[in-house]
Amino acid sequence: MSIEKDVVSRAIKGDGKAFAQLYEEHFDKIYRYVYLKVGNEAEAEDLTQDVFVKALEAIGSYRWRNLPFASWIFRIAHNQVIDYFRKQGKVEKVDLEDDDVAPVDESNPAHIAEQRFEIAELRENIKKLSPSQREVISLRFGAELSTAEIAEALGKSTGTVKALQYNGIVALRKMMLGNK
Amino acid sequence: MEDILNECLERVSKGESIETCLNAYPEQASKLEPLLRISLMLMQSTAAIRPDAEYKARARYQLQAMFYDRHGKVKKEVRIPVWHKKWAVALTSVAVILLAGVGAAAASADALPDDALYDIKLAAEQVRMTLAFSDLDEAKLHLQFAERRADEMTEMARQGKSDEISMLTEQIANHLGKVAVAEATPGITKEKPRALAPPAPAPSEEATADDVGKDTGGGLGAALSQSWAMNLAVLEGALDKAPEELKPALEQAIDSLAKDYDRTIFIIEGGSS
Repeated sequence: MSIEKDVVSRAIKGDGKAFAQLYEEHFDKIYRYVYLKVGNEAEAEDLTQDVFVKALEAIGSYRWRNLPFASWIFRIAHNQVIDYFRKQGKVEKVDLEDDDVAPVDESNPAHIAEQRFEIAELRENIKKLSPSQREVISLRFGAELSTAEIAEALGKSTGTVKALQYNGIVALRKMMLGNK
Repeated sequence: MEDILNECLERVSKGESIETCLNAYPEQASKLEPLLRISLMLMQSTAAIRPDAEYKARARYQLQAMFYDRHGKVKKEVRIPVWHKKWAVALTSVAVILLAGVGAAAASADALPDDALYDIKLAAEQVRMTLAFSDLDEAKLHLQFAERRADEMTEMARQGKSDEISMLTEQIANHLGKVAVAEATPGITKEKPRALAPPAPAPSEEATADDVGKDTGGGLGAALSQSWAMNLAVLEGALDKAPEELKPALEQAIDSLAKDYDRTIFIIEGGSS
Protein backbone atom coordinates (compact mmCIF):
# COMPACT_ATOMS: atom_id res chain seq x y z
CA MET A 1 0.00 0.00 0.00
CA SER A 2 1.37 3.42 -0.97
CA ILE A 3 1.89 6.08 1.69
CA GLU A 4 -0.92 8.26 0.33
CA LYS A 5 -3.28 5.30 0.12
CA ASP A 6 -2.49 4.46 3.73
CA VAL A 7 -3.11 8.06 4.86
CA VAL A 8 -6.44 8.19 3.00
CA SER A 9 -7.51 4.83 4.47
CA ARG A 10 -6.74 6.07 7.96
CA ALA A 11 -8.64 9.33 7.35
CA ILE A 12 -11.68 7.34 6.17
CA LYS A 13 -11.53 5.33 9.41
CA GLY A 14 -11.59 8.53 11.49
CA ASP A 15 -7.91 9.21 12.12
CA GLY A 16 -7.75 12.98 12.67
CA LYS A 17 -4.00 13.07 12.15
CA ALA A 18 -4.37 11.47 8.71
CA PHE A 19 -7.07 13.95 7.73
CA ALA A 20 -4.85 16.83 8.89
CA GLN A 21 -2.06 15.39 6.72
CA LEU A 22 -4.32 15.38 3.65
CA TYR A 23 -5.41 18.91 4.47
CA GLU A 24 -1.81 20.13 4.68
CA GLU A 25 -0.88 18.32 1.48
CA HIS A 26 -3.68 19.73 -0.65
CA PHE A 27 -4.95 22.96 0.91
CA ASP A 28 -2.53 25.43 -0.70
CA LYS A 29 -2.79 23.75 -4.10
CA ILE A 30 -6.58 23.85 -4.07
CA TYR A 31 -6.50 27.45 -2.93
CA ARG A 32 -4.15 28.38 -5.80
CA TYR A 33 -6.29 26.55 -8.34
CA VAL A 34 -9.49 28.21 -7.08
CA TYR A 35 -7.81 31.60 -6.84
CA LEU A 36 -6.64 31.36 -10.46
CA LYS A 37 -10.22 30.58 -11.46
CA VAL A 38 -12.13 33.19 -9.40
CA GLY A 39 -9.46 35.88 -8.97
CA ASN A 40 -10.59 37.04 -5.53
CA GLU A 41 -9.03 36.11 -2.22
CA ALA A 42 -12.17 36.11 -0.08
CA GLU A 43 -14.11 33.99 -2.56
CA ALA A 44 -11.15 31.66 -3.05
CA GLU A 45 -10.99 31.20 0.75
CA ASP A 46 -14.69 30.38 1.03
CA LEU A 47 -14.62 27.99 -1.92
CA THR A 48 -11.47 26.23 -0.71
CA GLN A 49 -13.06 25.65 2.66
CA ASP A 50 -16.22 24.39 0.95
CA VAL A 51 -14.13 21.90 -1.04
CA PHE A 52 -12.73 20.43 2.19
CA VAL A 53 -16.15 20.35 3.85
CA LYS A 54 -17.47 18.42 0.83
CA ALA A 55 -14.42 16.16 0.91
CA LEU A 56 -14.99 15.50 4.60
CA GLU A 57 -18.64 14.66 3.97
CA ALA A 58 -17.82 12.36 1.06
CA ILE A 59 -14.56 10.77 2.17
CA GLY A 60 -16.38 7.74 3.54
CA SER A 61 -17.58 6.89 0.03
CA TYR A 62 -14.16 7.41 -1.57
CA ARG A 63 -12.76 4.23 -3.09
CA TRP A 64 -9.25 4.09 -4.46
CA ARG A 65 -10.01 2.21 -7.70
CA ASN A 66 -6.96 3.72 -9.39
CA LEU A 67 -8.30 7.25 -8.92
CA PRO A 68 -5.63 9.12 -6.96
CA PHE A 69 -6.88 11.16 -4.02
CA ALA A 70 -5.58 14.36 -5.64
CA SER A 71 -7.73 13.74 -8.73
CA TRP A 72 -10.74 13.00 -6.52
CA ILE A 73 -10.44 16.16 -4.42
CA PHE A 74 -9.73 18.34 -7.47
CA ARG A 75 -12.82 16.96 -9.12
CA ILE A 76 -14.71 18.32 -6.11
CA ALA A 77 -12.88 21.64 -6.47
CA HIS A 78 -13.65 21.77 -10.19
CA ASN A 79 -17.37 21.17 -9.49
CA GLN A 80 -17.40 23.78 -6.71
CA VAL A 81 -15.95 26.39 -9.07
CA ILE A 82 -18.51 25.50 -11.78
CA ASP A 83 -21.32 25.81 -9.20
CA TYR A 84 -19.89 29.12 -8.04
CA PHE A 85 -19.94 30.62 -11.54
CA ARG A 86 -23.38 29.18 -12.19
CA LYS A 87 -24.78 30.75 -9.02
CA GLN A 88 -23.07 34.03 -9.76
CA GLY A 89 -24.42 33.97 -13.29
CA LYS A 90 -21.07 34.86 -14.73
CA VAL A 91 -18.10 33.27 -16.45
CA GLU A 92 -15.06 34.90 -14.90
CA LYS A 93 -14.33 37.91 -12.76
CA VAL A 94 -12.87 40.80 -14.70
CA ASP A 95 -10.80 42.65 -12.16
CA LEU A 96 -7.97 41.44 -10.06
CA GLU A 97 -7.37 43.69 -7.11
CA ASP A 98 -3.77 44.10 -6.04
CA ASP A 99 -4.69 43.56 -2.40
CA ASP A 100 -6.01 40.11 -3.21
CA VAL A 101 -2.59 38.53 -3.57
CA ALA A 102 -0.60 37.29 -0.61
CA PRO A 103 3.02 37.26 -1.82
CA VAL A 104 5.69 34.90 -0.60
CA ASP A 105 8.42 37.31 0.42
CA GLU A 106 6.77 39.89 2.63
CA SER A 107 10.05 41.52 3.62
CA ASN A 108 10.76 43.01 0.20
CA PRO A 109 8.22 45.61 -0.99
CA ALA A 110 9.71 45.82 -4.50
CA HIS A 111 9.48 42.07 -4.86
CA ILE A 112 5.89 42.12 -3.61
CA ALA A 113 4.90 44.73 -6.19
CA GLU A 114 6.63 42.77 -8.94
CA GLN A 115 4.95 39.52 -7.91
CA ARG A 116 1.55 41.15 -7.75
CA PHE A 117 2.02 42.56 -11.19
CA GLU A 118 3.16 39.23 -12.58
CA ILE A 119 0.28 37.35 -10.98
CA ALA A 120 -2.25 39.91 -12.20
CA GLU A 121 -0.84 39.75 -15.72
CA LEU A 122 -0.68 35.99 -15.61
CA ARG A 123 -4.27 35.64 -14.53
CA GLU A 124 -5.46 38.11 -17.12
CA ASN A 125 -3.75 36.05 -19.81
CA ILE A 126 -4.97 32.72 -18.46
CA LYS A 127 -8.47 34.16 -18.59
CA LYS A 128 -8.14 34.62 -22.34
CA LEU A 129 -7.43 30.91 -22.97
CA SER A 130 -10.18 28.55 -24.07
CA PRO A 131 -12.10 27.05 -21.09
CA SER A 132 -10.43 23.64 -21.51
CA GLN A 133 -6.94 25.13 -21.82
CA ARG A 134 -7.59 27.36 -18.82
CA GLU A 135 -8.72 24.38 -16.74
CA VAL A 136 -5.65 22.33 -17.64
CA ILE A 137 -3.21 25.21 -17.08
CA SER A 138 -4.80 26.04 -13.70
CA LEU A 139 -4.62 22.42 -12.59
CA ARG A 140 -1.10 21.90 -13.93
CA PHE A 141 0.53 25.05 -12.58
CA GLY A 142 -1.82 26.16 -9.79
CA ALA A 143 -2.56 22.74 -8.35
CA GLU A 144 0.69 21.09 -9.47
CA LEU A 145 -1.12 17.99 -10.74
CA SER A 146 0.48 15.65 -13.27
CA THR A 147 -1.15 15.28 -16.67
CA ALA A 148 -2.35 11.81 -15.60
CA GLU A 149 -3.98 13.25 -12.46
CA ILE A 150 -5.59 16.05 -14.49
CA ALA A 151 -6.91 13.49 -16.96
CA GLU A 152 -8.51 11.56 -14.06
CA ALA A 153 -9.96 14.71 -12.50
CA LEU A 154 -11.47 15.99 -15.74
CA GLY A 155 -12.41 12.65 -17.24
CA LYS A 156 -10.26 13.24 -20.35
CA SER A 157 -7.47 11.17 -21.91
CA THR A 158 -3.84 11.95 -21.02
CA GLY A 159 -3.16 12.74 -24.70
CA THR A 160 -5.93 15.34 -24.74
CA VAL A 161 -4.60 16.93 -21.55
CA LYS A 162 -1.06 17.10 -22.99
CA ALA A 163 -2.39 18.73 -26.17
CA LEU A 164 -4.41 21.28 -24.16
CA GLN A 165 -1.36 22.00 -22.02
CA TYR A 166 0.86 22.49 -25.08
CA ASN A 167 -1.60 24.73 -26.91
CA GLY A 168 -2.30 26.68 -23.73
CA ILE A 169 1.39 27.41 -23.14
CA VAL A 170 1.90 28.40 -26.79
CA ALA A 171 -1.09 30.77 -26.54
CA LEU A 172 0.20 32.25 -23.28
CA ARG A 173 3.60 32.86 -24.83
CA LYS A 174 2.01 34.71 -27.72
CA MET A 175 0.02 36.85 -25.31
CA MET A 176 3.08 37.61 -23.19
CA LEU A 177 5.05 38.60 -26.29
CA GLY A 178 2.14 40.76 -27.40
CA ASN A 179 2.13 42.56 -24.04
CA LYS A 180 5.82 43.51 -24.21
CA MET B 1 6.30 17.83 -29.19
CA GLU B 2 3.45 17.68 -26.65
CA ASP B 3 5.02 14.64 -25.00
CA ILE B 4 8.49 16.20 -25.00
CA LEU B 5 7.18 19.43 -23.47
CA ASN B 6 5.34 17.46 -20.81
CA GLU B 7 8.40 15.38 -19.98
CA CYS B 8 10.57 18.48 -19.69
CA LEU B 9 7.97 20.16 -17.48
CA GLU B 10 8.05 17.16 -15.16
CA ARG B 11 11.83 17.32 -15.02
CA VAL B 12 11.97 21.08 -14.48
CA SER B 13 9.35 20.88 -11.71
CA LYS B 14 11.57 18.30 -9.99
CA GLY B 15 14.53 20.70 -10.03
CA GLU B 16 16.33 20.01 -13.29
CA SER B 17 17.50 22.98 -15.33
CA ILE B 18 15.90 23.94 -18.63
CA GLU B 19 19.30 23.53 -20.31
CA THR B 20 19.56 19.87 -19.26
CA CYS B 21 16.27 19.15 -20.93
CA LEU B 22 17.15 21.13 -24.05
CA ASN B 23 20.36 19.14 -24.35
CA ALA B 24 18.32 15.95 -24.31
CA TYR B 25 16.29 17.17 -27.30
CA PRO B 26 18.68 19.23 -29.45
CA GLU B 27 16.47 19.08 -32.56
CA GLN B 28 13.47 20.54 -30.73
CA ALA B 29 15.50 22.90 -28.53
CA SER B 30 14.76 26.11 -30.39
CA LYS B 31 11.01 25.53 -30.26
CA LEU B 32 11.08 24.05 -26.78
CA GLU B 33 13.11 26.72 -24.99
CA PRO B 34 10.62 29.62 -25.10
CA LEU B 35 7.81 27.32 -24.00
CA LEU B 36 9.83 26.06 -21.06
CA ARG B 37 10.82 29.62 -20.09
CA ILE B 38 7.18 30.74 -20.02
CA SER B 39 6.27 27.57 -18.10
CA LEU B 40 8.95 28.29 -15.53
CA MET B 41 7.55 31.77 -15.11
CA LEU B 42 4.10 30.26 -14.64
CA MET B 43 5.44 27.93 -11.95
CA GLN B 44 7.14 30.78 -10.10
CA SER B 45 4.19 33.14 -10.34
CA THR B 46 1.61 30.63 -9.18
CA ALA B 47 3.86 29.56 -6.29
CA ALA B 48 3.50 33.13 -4.98
CA ILE B 49 -0.26 32.68 -4.53
CA ARG B 50 -0.74 31.54 -0.96
CA PRO B 51 -3.63 31.59 1.47
CA ASP B 52 -3.47 33.84 4.49
CA ALA B 53 -1.90 31.88 7.38
CA GLU B 54 -4.53 32.91 9.94
CA TYR B 55 -7.39 32.00 7.60
CA LYS B 56 -5.75 28.65 6.91
CA ALA B 57 -5.38 27.92 10.62
CA ARG B 58 -8.99 28.89 11.28
CA ALA B 59 -10.24 26.74 8.39
CA ARG B 60 -8.17 23.85 9.67
CA TYR B 61 -9.64 24.16 13.14
CA GLN B 62 -13.19 24.27 11.82
CA LEU B 63 -12.62 21.23 9.63
CA GLN B 64 -10.98 19.29 12.44
CA ALA B 65 -13.85 20.18 14.75
CA MET B 66 -16.25 18.90 12.07
CA PHE B 67 -14.12 15.80 11.65
CA TYR B 68 -14.15 15.22 15.40
CA ASP B 69 -17.92 15.70 15.57
CA ARG B 70 -18.47 13.24 12.71
CA HIS B 71 -16.68 10.54 14.60
CA GLY B 72 -19.17 10.56 17.42
CA LYS B 73 -17.26 12.26 20.22
CA VAL B 74 -19.22 15.51 20.21
CA LYS B 75 -22.55 16.34 18.60
CA LYS B 76 -22.53 20.09 19.15
CA GLU B 77 -21.52 22.18 16.14
CA VAL B 78 -18.63 24.53 16.71
CA ARG B 79 -18.42 27.92 15.12
CA ILE B 80 -15.42 30.13 15.65
CA PRO B 81 -16.25 33.77 15.13
CA VAL B 82 -14.27 35.39 12.34
CA TRP B 83 -12.22 38.25 13.78
CA HIS B 84 -11.10 40.25 10.82
CA LYS B 85 -11.43 43.60 12.54
CA LYS B 86 -9.07 42.87 15.36
CA TRP B 87 -7.49 46.26 15.62
CA ALA B 88 -10.79 48.08 15.29
CA VAL B 89 -12.09 46.06 18.23
CA ALA B 90 -8.95 46.79 20.23
CA LEU B 91 -9.09 50.52 19.55
CA THR B 92 -12.75 50.62 20.51
CA SER B 93 -11.90 48.76 23.68
CA VAL B 94 -9.06 51.16 24.46
CA ALA B 95 -11.47 54.04 23.95
CA VAL B 96 -13.96 52.40 26.30
CA ILE B 97 -11.30 52.01 28.95
CA LEU B 98 -10.06 55.55 28.54
CA LEU B 99 -13.59 56.87 28.73
CA ALA B 100 -14.38 54.74 31.73
CA GLY B 101 -11.11 55.67 33.35
CA VAL B 102 -8.19 53.56 34.48
CA GLY B 103 -9.66 53.42 37.98
CA ALA B 104 -12.79 51.81 36.65
CA ALA B 105 -10.71 49.29 34.72
CA ALA B 106 -8.84 48.39 37.90
CA ALA B 107 -12.07 48.19 39.85
CA SER B 108 -13.56 45.88 37.22
CA ALA B 109 -10.98 43.13 37.86
CA ASP B 110 -13.33 41.23 40.19
CA ALA B 111 -16.54 42.14 38.36
CA LEU B 112 -19.08 39.38 37.73
CA PRO B 113 -21.35 39.07 34.68
CA ASP B 114 -24.23 40.86 36.38
CA ASP B 115 -22.03 43.77 37.56
CA ALA B 116 -22.02 47.14 35.81
CA LEU B 117 -18.23 46.99 35.40
CA TYR B 118 -18.19 43.57 33.74
CA ASP B 119 -18.09 44.96 30.18
CA ILE B 120 -15.03 47.00 31.13
CA LYS B 121 -13.37 43.86 32.43
CA LEU B 122 -14.01 42.10 29.10
CA ALA B 123 -12.80 45.15 27.15
CA ALA B 124 -9.56 45.18 29.16
CA GLU B 125 -9.07 41.49 28.32
CA GLN B 126 -9.66 42.25 24.65
CA VAL B 127 -6.97 44.91 24.73
CA ARG B 128 -4.48 42.57 26.37
CA MET B 129 -5.27 39.95 23.76
CA THR B 130 -4.60 42.30 20.86
CA LEU B 131 -1.39 43.55 22.36
CA ALA B 132 0.00 40.11 23.17
CA PHE B 133 3.66 39.65 22.24
CA SER B 134 3.10 36.57 20.11
CA ASP B 135 0.46 34.07 19.00
CA LEU B 136 1.60 31.75 21.77
CA ASP B 137 1.03 34.49 24.35
CA GLU B 138 -2.40 35.08 22.89
CA ALA B 139 -3.24 31.39 23.18
CA LYS B 140 -2.12 31.42 26.82
CA LEU B 141 -4.23 34.48 27.48
CA HIS B 142 -7.27 32.71 26.07
CA LEU B 143 -6.60 29.84 28.46
CA GLN B 144 -6.21 32.24 31.35
CA PHE B 145 -9.48 34.00 30.51
CA ALA B 146 -11.25 30.65 30.17
CA GLU B 147 -10.18 29.94 33.76
CA ARG B 148 -11.52 33.34 34.82
CA ARG B 149 -14.88 32.51 33.29
CA ALA B 150 -14.94 29.24 35.24
CA ASP B 151 -14.19 31.17 38.47
CA GLU B 152 -17.00 33.58 37.65
CA MET B 153 -19.33 30.66 37.04
CA THR B 154 -18.43 29.26 40.44
CA GLU B 155 -19.12 32.59 42.11
CA MET B 156 -22.44 32.97 40.29
CA ALA B 157 -23.41 29.49 41.43
CA ARG B 158 -22.39 30.31 45.01
CA GLN B 159 -24.68 33.32 44.90
CA GLY B 160 -27.50 31.14 43.60
CA LYS B 161 -27.64 32.85 40.19
CA SER B 162 -28.09 30.50 37.24
CA ASP B 163 -28.85 32.96 34.42
CA GLU B 164 -25.26 33.52 33.35
CA ILE B 165 -24.00 29.93 33.49
CA SER B 166 -24.73 28.99 29.88
CA MET B 167 -23.32 32.33 28.64
CA LEU B 168 -20.09 31.70 30.56
CA THR B 169 -19.93 28.13 29.21
CA GLU B 170 -20.13 29.51 25.67
CA GLN B 171 -17.43 32.06 26.41
CA ILE B 172 -15.10 29.33 27.68
CA ALA B 173 -15.77 27.28 24.51
CA ASN B 174 -15.02 30.37 22.46
CA HIS B 175 -11.68 30.90 24.23
CA LEU B 176 -10.78 27.23 23.70
CA GLY B 177 -11.60 27.50 20.00
CA LYS B 178 -9.23 30.41 19.70
CA VAL B 179 -6.50 28.47 21.51
CA ALA B 180 -6.78 25.78 18.84
CA VAL B 181 -6.72 28.33 16.01
CA ALA B 182 -3.72 30.12 17.49
CA GLU B 183 -1.92 26.82 17.95
CA ALA B 184 -2.41 25.94 14.28
CA THR B 185 -1.10 29.30 13.11
CA PRO B 186 2.43 28.91 11.71
CA GLY B 187 5.17 30.30 13.92
CA ILE B 188 3.38 29.99 17.23
CA THR B 189 6.10 27.89 18.78
CA LYS B 190 8.70 30.45 17.78
CA GLU B 191 7.21 33.23 19.94
CA LYS B 192 6.97 35.27 16.74
CA PRO B 193 6.88 38.98 17.60
CA ARG B 194 3.97 41.04 16.35
CA ALA B 195 4.44 43.89 13.89
CA LEU B 196 3.80 46.59 16.47
CA ALA B 197 5.81 46.92 19.66
CA PRO B 198 3.71 45.87 22.65
CA PRO B 199 2.98 48.52 25.27
CA ALA B 200 3.00 47.96 29.01
CA PRO B 201 0.32 45.66 30.40
CA ALA B 202 -2.99 47.18 31.50
CA PRO B 203 -2.77 48.60 35.07
CA SER B 204 -5.21 46.19 36.62
CA GLU B 205 -3.65 43.14 35.02
CA GLU B 206 0.00 43.32 36.07
CA ALA B 207 0.11 40.26 38.27
CA THR B 208 -1.24 37.89 35.64
CA ALA B 209 0.52 39.58 32.71
CA ASP B 210 3.87 38.57 34.20
CA ASP B 211 2.93 34.95 33.86
CA VAL B 212 1.83 35.16 30.25
CA GLY B 213 5.15 35.93 28.61
CA LYS B 214 6.79 32.90 30.15
CA ASP B 215 6.80 29.65 28.29
CA THR B 216 6.26 26.92 30.82
CA GLY B 217 7.74 24.45 28.38
CA GLY B 218 4.86 22.05 28.75
CA GLY B 219 3.17 23.04 25.48
CA LEU B 220 -0.43 24.03 24.94
CA GLY B 221 -1.73 20.48 25.21
CA ALA B 222 -0.31 20.14 28.73
CA ALA B 223 -1.50 23.64 29.65
CA LEU B 224 -5.00 22.74 28.45
CA SER B 225 -5.03 19.55 30.50
CA GLN B 226 -3.91 21.46 33.59
CA SER B 227 -6.44 24.19 32.93
CA TRP B 228 -9.25 21.66 32.63
CA ALA B 229 -8.16 19.83 35.79
CA MET B 230 -8.22 23.13 37.68
CA ASN B 231 -11.56 24.22 36.27
CA LEU B 232 -13.10 20.81 36.91
CA ALA B 233 -11.99 20.87 40.55
CA VAL B 234 -13.41 24.37 41.02
CA LEU B 235 -16.69 23.59 39.28
CA GLU B 236 -17.19 20.28 41.09
CA GLY B 237 -16.59 22.11 44.35
CA ALA B 238 -19.26 24.61 43.32
CA LEU B 239 -21.59 21.77 42.36
CA ASP B 240 -21.31 20.23 45.85
CA LYS B 241 -22.23 23.49 47.51
CA ALA B 242 -24.82 24.71 44.98
CA PRO B 243 -28.53 24.75 45.83
CA GLU B 244 -30.46 21.83 44.34
CA GLU B 245 -32.25 23.96 41.73
CA LEU B 246 -28.90 25.12 40.33
CA LYS B 247 -27.27 21.71 40.05
CA PRO B 248 -28.73 20.67 36.66
CA ALA B 249 -27.39 23.85 34.99
CA LEU B 250 -23.96 23.36 36.53
CA GLU B 251 -23.86 19.67 35.63
CA GLN B 252 -24.76 20.55 32.05
CA ALA B 253 -22.01 23.20 31.98
CA ILE B 254 -19.41 20.74 33.32
CA ASP B 255 -20.46 18.13 30.76
CA SER B 256 -20.30 20.64 27.91
CA LEU B 257 -16.91 21.98 29.01
CA ALA B 258 -15.48 18.47 29.35
CA LYS B 259 -16.34 17.92 25.68
CA ASP B 260 -14.97 21.30 24.62
CA TYR B 261 -11.65 20.73 26.42
CA ASP B 262 -11.51 17.16 25.11
CA ARG B 263 -12.04 18.34 21.55
CA THR B 264 -9.46 21.10 21.80
CA ILE B 265 -6.88 18.72 23.26
CA PHE B 266 -7.72 16.23 20.49
CA ILE B 267 -7.16 18.87 17.84
CA ILE B 268 -3.91 20.10 19.34
CA GLU B 269 -2.39 16.74 20.23
CA GLY B 270 -4.18 13.99 18.37
CA GLY B 271 -5.89 15.56 15.40
CA SER B 272 -3.02 17.68 14.15
CA SER B 273 0.31 16.63 12.77
